[in-house]
Amino acid sequence: MRYALIAILALLALLIIAPPLLGTGWQYALINALIAALFAAAFNLLVGQGGMLSFGHAAYFGVGAFTVIHLMQSVEYGDIPFPTVLLPLAGAAVSLLCGALAGFFATMRSGVYFALVTLALAELLHSLAPHWDEMFGGEAGLSSMRMPSLGFTFGSTLEVYYLTLSWVVICIGLLYAYTRTPFGRLTLALRDNEQRIRFMGFNAHGTKIVVFAISAMFSGVAGSLMAISNETANYSVFSTQVSALVVLHTFVGGSTIFFGPIVGACVLSLFTFVVSGVTHSWMLYQGIIFVLVMLFAPKGIGGVIQAHIEQRHALPWKRLAAPYALATLAGLMVACATVFVVQSLEIVLSREYAAAVARTGEYAPYTVFAREWQVFHPFTWLFPVLLLVPGLYLLRRAFARIKALWDKDDDDDNGDVPAATQQLMEGGR
Amino acid sequence: MDTGMQPDVLVIDDLQKHFGGLEIMRGVDLTIKQGERHALVGPNGAGKSTLFNLISGEHRPSGGQIYLRGQRISGLKPEQISRRGLTRSFQITNVFSRMSAFENIRIGVMARHGIRFNLYRRIKPMRAINDEAHALLQQVRLDHRADNLASDLTYSEQRALEIGMTLATGAEVILLDEPTAGMSRDETAYMVELIRQVTEGKTLMMVEHDMSVVFGLCDRISVLVYGRILATGSPEEIRSNQEVQSAYLGEEEEH
Repeated sequence: MRYALIAILALLALLIIAPPLLGTGWQYALINALIAALFAAAFNLLVGQGGMLSFGHAAYFGVGAFTVIHLMQSVEYGDIPFPTVLLPLAGAAVSLLCGALAGFFATMRSGVYFALVTLALAELLHSLAPHWDEMFGGEAGLSSMRMPSLGFTFGSTLEVYYLTLSWVVICIGLLYAYTRTPFGRLTLALRDNEQRIRFMGFNAHGTKIVVFAISAMFSGVAGSLMAISNETANYSVFSTQVSALVVLHTFVGGSTIFFGPIVGACVLSLFTFVVSGVTHSWMLYQGIIFVLVMLFAPKGIGGVIQAHIEQRHALPWKRLAAPYALATLAGLMVACATVFVVQSLEIVLSREYAAAVARTGEYAPYTVFAREWQVFHPFTWLFPVLLLVPGLYLLRRAFARIKALWDKDDDDDNGDVPAATQQLMEGGR
Repeated sequence: MDTGMQPDVLVIDDLQKHFGGLEIMRGVDLTIKQGERHALVGPNGAGKSTLFNLISGEHRPSGGQIYLRGQRISGLKPEQISRRGLTRSFQITNVFSRMSAFENIRIGVMARHGIRFNLYRRIKPMRAINDEAHALLQQVRLDHRADNLASDLTYSEQRALEIGMTLATGAEVILLDEPTAGMSRDETAYMVELIRQVTEGKTLMMVEHDMSVVFGLCDRISVLVYGRILATGSPEEIRSNQEVQSAYLGEEEEH
């Protein structure tokens, strides 16, 4: 627990100190990562703790964003004074109300039907917004300017970054505190067994509405911060993509652990920032990561981290070092092979390349990994195979060894062989 | 115990239930007295579980009334009935599997104290709640399993936890649905003893198939056959009842 606190404080210190040393591109990427982290944490209150999988959380994110844009416009035109730093409060309030209203209907059903109602509500907004100019600014959306307040001009990305950081840290802190309250515990009980809490005297529907509304409220804060950062919002914030992305972040990070979705959102949004600048295939890579995590670490990145923390005293770290290094190397080999094939295909199958072939009549060499490759040279296609086959073999070997070592220490305790491995796979609890 | 002088706690009056054209309850009349242990027996399909579902609010009756201490509870929701002091356990183990045994009980204690929407206090320093949950855990002899996940408990431990959760809500009237189903002889004996201890001073109504449990634990027995109460009486009266013999007990012995 104390280590966790130290780690969090260290991370916080880094988040405060580092950004001035970075370019505005990275500052902007960090703002988006923080917003994604808050959104995922808010979403996970509903999914991971409440056990309600929503496919339409973009709605509450978007409501927060539009609320703030409207308020910023009013401030900009001098209609009402409202400090810029407190704008997310307005987004939170309106999203809370919308969440309570939508939650009232959505939580009448559970499981797939609940997911479909949330999806339908978000889609309703998504199709309505482009046709409602006064409210959502049509297809172009609405724009405004950040006004100076409390001595900050909010002219630079850095100031916006610190504003975002403050709100995200406070909100994630509140979301964490939530889990420690009686209602937070009741939320977990609701997830596990709704029928039982009714027979114990709790109003299950009311409980679900409150969970839904609070999740929507914090999603609204995230949306507000997005609007403040971008100084604009349009109907695309309601899109299925936004709803799907938060699901992706949450599950890659691990929905069963409080910090999982936050980790997932940060990792994936920074990954997107870096990779989308280099290749058009970034969504494919993101998809591959999602599939791999779901297949091999269903409890997500956070789950794997937590399993290691829980087993830290029992694990033979020295003996694990070699197989972990081997797994990393083999993983890199497989990743290189995959990236090589994807990038090669992206170039060779592109319209530009086809046009060049048609123009010149020859297949020009192309560049991947800072080296030129001939399309029809056997080595070009042998290269990924040479990486992939030994890579996969070594990966299997390394994981077999890791599995054996994880199981062995548990062996001494209670003779229950697969427990620790299972924990590694499932990522603790 | 002599229940003759005790006041009526639960009164069921001409209770009917049909699902579509299918009549399950065909006018059940039953009175449960304060402090008694009352068994509900009957062949499969007699409607025992349906009767429990009707009393606890899972289903609405098609006709007739149910009174808890003179107040009508038929037609109320499960949580409203639970708050009036009647709680049930379930035939299938129905716990919060991803929470610790202690927390399972604590949720019940929260219910008893009416802590439902408390978002502004930490639960850890709430001494009364935590102490009470620990005491209850001890009562159902699971204190050594406090921090284990409910899903990691053995089957009979889960059943004991189930009873602990039912008690935790502070209910005065407890409905247990086959608390010893699927247990070995030893486990059954253990569970009977546990139920006897923890329901001391409370009113108990239970569905049970094991006749040794019924005769050993209960003060009165009602026999439910095809949606009607065939007979109600002390274990001796039921044992010697000719109608019951032919309808139910006799049939059992032939197996």
